[in-house]
Amino acid sequence: MESSYIIGSIAVAAILTYVTRIIPFLLFRTREPSPLIKYIELNMPLMIMVILVFYALKDVKWERYPYGLAEIIGVCVAVLLHVKFKNALLSIFAATLVYMILIQKIL
Amino acid sequence: MNFLAIFKLTIPVMMGYIPLGMAFGLLLSKLLIPWYYAFFMSAFIFAGSGQFLVLTLFASQATILEIGIATFLLNLRHTFYGLSMISTFKNFSWKKHYLIFGLTDETFALLKTTEVPESNRENAYLLITFLNQCYWILGSVVGAMLGNILPFNYEGIEFSLTALFVVLSIELYKKNRLHKPFFVALIIGLFGMILFPPQKMLILSLCAAAFVLIVFKRSMENGK
Repeated sequence: MESSYIIGSIAVAAILTYVTRIIPFLLFRTREPSPLIKYIELNMPLMIMVILVFYALKDVKWERYPYGLAEIIGVCVAVLLHVKFKNALLSIFAATLVYMILIQKIL
Repeated sequence: MNFLAIFKLTIPVMMGYIPLGMAFGLLLSKLLIPWYYAFFMSAFIFAGSGQFLVLTLFASQATILEIGIATFLLNLRHTFYGLSMISTFKNFSWKKHYLIFGLTDETFALLKTTEVPESNRENAYLLITFLNQCYWILGSVVGAMLGNILPFNYEGIEFSLTALFVVLSIELYKKNRLHKPFFVALIIGLFGMILFPPQKMLILSLCAAAFVLIVFKRSMENGK
């Protein structure tokens, strides 16, 4: 692979990634955001976060053994611990540990 | 907020970014690309799935134009993140360009759920973003240099990012005045995961969520 090709691609990818991130700031730089934009601003993060959970699970093979069992158990551990103890680090550590043990040793 | 408190906040991201970055670096070295390009990509692009995509396209000898279009479409979801950061970043100095540059899925998640007193909010946000990028760069460079010879079996550690999103969903659910968007997003996410092709799942689901949120604004705000 030629280095000019690699460098060119990296530059293009870097600029376009930044563009996707700055678009909304450019659009609303001078104008005051409308009530609709404020409503989106308030409620979209919650929806994004929930969808990111499913996005993180998108490559799970639900139709094949072990049917995503490790992921389901891991998510349940995170939810239960977090509802009970409200300690983000604990919930995340424990869920990850359970998940790793499940996929490495059990399933 | 002091350094230690902020560092603690970013630990889950570290647990995800270092192994994920290493996976990226490993893939890069398998394509026989010199390791320092792993550094350049993580320093200047800083987009997890975006960088994996670029590698995939390298492997299939895609043109630079194709690489540009694909990256743009994949990262278009970040536009939604910026949309919910406009008023937060509004009074920040020029340094906010680094915050905008560093607005990955995980950084966005942390910024949106961290409660920081207004006086040192900008610095706290900058530090969170910077630490996250350091983890990502560290992981990808280490992966590119020695991914193959690591003794520890860290398979599955990337689940910490899933768990992070779960925990932050719960946090935002408790903070949000309206609860209907949560349930709508659950349904959209579930169907999106099953029905949409994996590479397009996120952007399609986010568009669907924004669509429902806007079109059914009145019923979202009715009741709770």
